Amino acid sequence: MSELDKVRREMAAVLQQPGVRPDPSLRITRRTFVHKSCLVGAATVAETFAWWPLINTLDIAHAAEAPFKFAWISDTHLYPRSLNTRFVEKTMRAAKEVQAMSPPADFLIFGGDLAQLGKVEELELGVEILKEVNIRKVYIPGEHDWYLDMGKKWGELFGQPHWTFDHKGVRFVGLDTVSRGPDYWTAKKMSPEERMGHMATLDGTVAGPWAGVGRDQLDWLQKTLANWDRNRPVIIFSHNPLYEYYPPWNFWVRDWREVNEVLKPYTKVTNIHGHVHQVLYNEIGTMRSIGMLATSWPWPYAPEGVPKLTKPMIRVDPGDHFDGVGWEKIDVSAQDKVDVEYVMWRKQVLAQSPDDYAKSIPEVLRPRVADNMWPY
Amino acid sequence: MTVTCRFILFRVAPAAALAVLVGPAGAHKDPVTPQQLSTYQQVFMEQVRKGDLLFHGDAATEKEMAVVLSNTGMACAMCHPMTADTHPATFPKYQVQMAKFATLRDMINWCIEKPNQGEKIADDSEAMKALEAYIYWSQSGTVLNPGKF
Repeated sequence: MSELDKVRREMAAVLQQPGVRPDPSLRITRRTFVHKSCLVGAATVAETFAWWPLINTLDIAHAAEAPFKFAWISDTHLYPRSLNTRFVEKTMRAAKEVQAMSPPADFLIFGGDLAQLGKVEELELGVEILKEVNIRKVYIPGEHDWYLDMGKKWGELFGQPHWTFDHKGVRFVGLDTVSRGPDYWTAKKMSPEERMGHMATLDGTVAGPWAGVGRDQLDWLQKTLANWDRNRPVIIFSHNPLYEYYPPWNFWVRDWREVNEVLKPYTKVTNIHGHVHQVLYNEIGTMRSIGMLATSWPWPYAPEGVPKLTKPMIRVDPGDHFDGVGWEKIDVSAQDKVDVEYVMWRKQVLAQSPDDYAKSIPEVLRPRVADNMWPY
Repeated sequence: MTVTCRFILFRVAPAAALAVLVGPAGAHKDPVTPQQLSTYQQVFMEQVRKGDLLFHGDAATEKEMAVVLSNTGMACAMCHPMTADTHPATFPKYQVQMAKFATLRDMINWCIEKPNQGEKIADDSEAMKALEAYIYWSQSGTVLNPGKF
C-alpha cells in the first residue's frame, strides 16, 4: 500500500465515522442559468462568453441574521505588467465585476497568491488593481506572496495573516496556511529568489509539505471559536484546502487531523479555499469544503484524490485565456441559505459528458526529477 | 516435379532448417553489459533532465539550448504539473485547437506559440527531443490510447 493510500485510509477512519457529516439540514443543489446579458440579445462576442455562472446552493439552518453577499477573488498570480498583461487583464475584469455587483457585496475576501513571485512590484500592482473595489477588503496570504521576503511586504500591505470577525450572525475566520513551511533553504544556502522559485513550482519536490495551520494558530482558532454557539455557522477562509486531497501539490494542510479536532464540535463549518484553481466540493467530518477558481489559469485535477462529491469542471480550452478561470459570489440569505456562485468566464462550467472530463483519460504520473539533481 | 518445387525442396528447405538451428545471423551479438545498460539509461535520463528543466521554465537551460519557450512568464508545468493533462499517450490524433491531425510535437509547439507566446522550435531540435523525453518518461505508466479526444 502506498504512503498516500495509508493516509487516505487513516483519514477515512478518523473523519468518516458512521453518521458524521455536515449538519443534516444541509441540502446541496446545483443549477446553471443563462445570464440576462445573453438573453436580451445585446451581448457582444466578449460578453457572450462572460457571466454564465454556476450556482451551488447550500442550505444552512440558523444562518444569517440578515441577507448579505460577499465576493471571493484569489490566485491572480500577477507578474509585473511589462511581462504578462493577460493576468493583469483578468484581475482587472474580476475587480470591475465585483465592484459592479448589485446589491453590492458586504466585503471582498482575497484568498491568496496575489503575486506570482512575491515581488514588491507584483504585490503593489495587485493593491492598485483592487483599488477598483470600494467595499471592505480582507486578505489571507498564498505561498507565492510569502517566500521571497518571508511575508514582510505582504504584512506591511495587509497586516495580520490570520483574523476573525462576526458578520450578521456568521463567524468568519481567515487562516494562514502558507507561512509555516519547513526550512528547505538554509542548509542549501538558497537565495530568496531560489527559495521562491521552488515554492512557486506546484509540482516541485524541494519545498515539500509546506501547507499547514500550525499548533500556535490551531490554539488561536480554538480560542476564537470557544465562545461561539456550536450550531451557528462558521465560514473559514484558507488558501489551501483543510483536508487531504493531493499532498504532492500541497492540495491539503499537513495537520488536517488537528484541524478536524478543533472543528469537530461545530456542526456548520464551511471552508472556502483557493490554491487548487478548480471547481471542487468535499465534505469531511462536519465540515464542507469548496474550492475556488483562480483568475490566472486553471490547474488540472490531481491524478488521484478528487473528492467523489465534486462534479468536475469542463475541460478547458488552452487557446482561450479567459476559459476555466473567474471569481465567486457568496450569498448568505435570511432564509438560511449560502449560495456559492462560480463566475467562470465561459459558456459551460461543468463537464457535460465523460469526454468533457480530462480525468476520463487515465494518466499515471511521476514526480519531476531535475529539481533534485545538482546544482539544486 | 517442377523446377520450382525442386528448388524449394533441395535448396531453400535445408537453409531454413539450418537457420532455425543456429539462429539468424543479424541477431547474433554480444550480450549487453551492465555498463552499457547504465550508459544507455544515462543518455536517456540526461534528456529527461533537460526536458524537465525546459518544461519548468528554467532560464539557464533555455539559454543553453538557444530556445525561447515563453514570453509571458508561463511555463509548461504551470498548466501541466507532473505533465498532467498533456495526454501524450493519445497522440497522434485530431487536435481541435489546430483543427488538424497532430502529433505530440505539433501540440508542444502550439502551446509554446499560443498560451506561452514563445518561439516555435524545430521538430527535430534537441529541445523538442528533450521535452518529448521528459513528457513520455513522466507518463511511462500510462496506457497508450492514440486518437482519444
